[in-house]
Amino acid sequence: MNLYEHEGKQLYKKQGIAIPKAVLIYRGEDIALAYDDLVVERVVVKAQVLSGKRGKNNGILFCNNQKEVVAAVEQLFTAQINGQYVASVYVEEALDIATEAYLSITYDTKTNQPVLVFSQQGGVDIEDVADDHIERHALDIRQKDIDVDIPFANELWHCFLEEDARLVEINPLVKTKDGQWIAADAKIALDDDASFRHKEDWVHYESRTMMGRPPTEREIAVEAIDQGEKYYQGTAGKYIEMDGDIAILFSGGGASIANMDALIKQGLKPANYTEYSGNPPREKVHQLAKIVLSKPGLKGLWIAGGVANFTNVKETFQGIVDALDEVKPTYPIVVRRAGPFEKEGMQLMEDCAKRNNLTMQLFGKEMSMTESAKVLAEQVNATV
Amino acid sequence: MGILLKENMRVLVQGITGKEGQKATQAMIDYGTNVVGGVRPGKGGEEILGLPVFNTVAEAKEALGQIDITTIYVPPFAAKQAIMEAIDAGIPIINTIIERIPIQDTAYFLAAAKEKGIQLIGPSSLGFITPGVGRIGVVGGQQVEDIFTPGSVGIISRSGGMTNELSWQVRKAGLGQSTAVHVGGDLLMGTTYADLLALFEKDEQTKAVIIFGEHGGSYEFDIVEMMNKKLFTKPLAIYIGGKFANVLPEGMNIGHAGAIVSRGQSAEEKEKALQDVGALIANTYDELVELVTPFV
Repeated sequence: MNLYEHEGKQLYKKQGIAIPKAVLIYRGEDIALAYDDLVVERVVVKAQVLSGKRGKNNGILFCNNQKEVVAAVEQLFTAQINGQYVASVYVEEALDIATEAYLSITYDTKTNQPVLVFSQQGGVDIEDVADDHIERHALDIRQKDIDVDIPFANELWHCFLEEDARLVEINPLVKTKDGQWIAADAKIALDDDASFRHKEDWVHYESRTMMGRPPTEREIAVEAIDQGEKYYQGTAGKYIEMDGDIAILFSGGGASIANMDALIKQGLKPANYTEYSGNPPREKVHQLAKIVLSKPGLKGLWIAGGVANFTNVKETFQGIVDALDEVKPTYPIVVRRAGPFEKEGMQLMEDCAKRNNLTMQLFGKEMSMTESAKVLAEQVNATV
Repeated sequence: MGILLKENMRVLVQGITGKEGQKATQAMIDYGTNVVGGVRPGKGGEEILGLPVFNTVAEAKEALGQIDITTIYVPPFAAKQAIMEAIDAGIPIINTIIERIPIQDTAYFLAAAKEKGIQLIGPSSLGFITPGVGRIGVVGGQQVEDIFTPGSVGIISRSGGMTNELSWQVRKAGLGQSTAVHVGGDLLMGTTYADLLALFEKDEQTKAVIIFGEHGGSYEFDIVEMMNKKLFTKPLAIYIGGKFANVLPEGMNIGHAGAIVSRGQSAEEKEKALQDVGALIANTYDELVELVTPFV
């Protein structure tokens, strides 16, 4: 889960990293009152979005009085910043900047260990800074402290470890004209897989999406499927709602990626991206399929997966059949799947198609997934 | 003779009494793998599937003697402890299927494994199979005989399902596999493409290798480096999935850290760099087999 700037800054503050005075404003809140309460004249008004490059995309505005602040906040609430939905706006005291540095810690896949990156030249153009102006310090996940002469390096390291972050970044790390270091921005990506260690803290974070809109009802509903005690028993909680009209029920992460590519190559447009894997129980798949099929305006359904190693085709298909029995789609359905209990699974599908009069074509491993995308395209194009 | 797995290697199963552990144990035994025992804290002295159960890896090692491979089936919150136990006991090859291990825990045991020269395959790895010799984990499932047959194509996949699917495409084309390895899809990989290619290079049975890769990460660049230095010289075909991800915002790439740590490594650059050193690039996964068929 990626954190908004204001959330990240609270985690920095906890470790003793200095942050500017600020107030957070949600839609519908009294902007003028919030600004007055801050008792700071010159402020920076910042859209709270999950992507970087806010500064270059008009997501950061400088204001000197109440009137300007009200106008700036209202403007940001109507805008998309770099394709991202603006969840809230942060109004923060403007700093007297002497220099802007860059500091981050993330995992380096070359060493499989964390790496600290520091540059005296930070700010919006950090990716263009020459390599010899960037310090990289390899870290060992087992070390308690780091011994480098970089402001807030140790505090940031403790934040990285204690919060189970995959990334912590301060850009810019500002040195003010009176010589104080202060974090002017915060980017943190938390490790969702460590959520069991942070149950009480992480549950308070609002729903979020990287798309240019708030998370949809379906996305929020699907997210709930994998929560609870048995969260690790198979995955059925992945759903990204998209603009197209072909409903997707893929099994297997790799297969889903290859299939999305194949679907788009056929000129079809996905209504969603969804993947279940790791042998999830019937009930999880049922909930997932129900939500996938609930989208209006669908023109086809593609149920596809590779030759499963251990995911039970009968059990998972039973979950899909439960949903098909309820929804009884009229559009074409193409199924391609193989693996344990495939005969029983296919039989369930066939019976379901018969009793509900569905237009369904079933394929096993004799046909590749890519080829079944072609069949779906022919069917959908013939129907339209 | 394939890679990683040799005839009669002695295999331990950690978490052998759980549902998935039992299923995997049975799958391995059915395929002729030499499983010698299991571990489950608190259940030492019991027997399961005719195999002795021990409280710890150290106890198992003391009672059973040499153990070549351990394969681990425990919930993610118990992963670090179970894997560290195997590392401390000095088991030379560790495979783990466990998904959703916190990355901090993974970094911890990977650092320990590296120091001891232990080959860890995973996390999130279903295992690997050398047809005719044995399998670790559940690769191939119940249809293992339909999908796998000894042959000359080496297979590496980031995806478990696709390990099986690719192996099936190989078989469907009338060919066989030397070894198929699911390396797992996590950001941090205990065993990388490059590690396995080095083994496939030395393996006489392997005539060509196919890889199912995914967008993200920079592991493909290790392959480029190897091929440049002629450390891998056999025909190689690779598919990198996830081009559709271009239409989605890049979830991992908030901030600049990823871009700075691994500069200039987009999917297109990956494909181009691989092509320049002679790797064959597949547009769809089914093309992988077609690309290597002339060489095997």
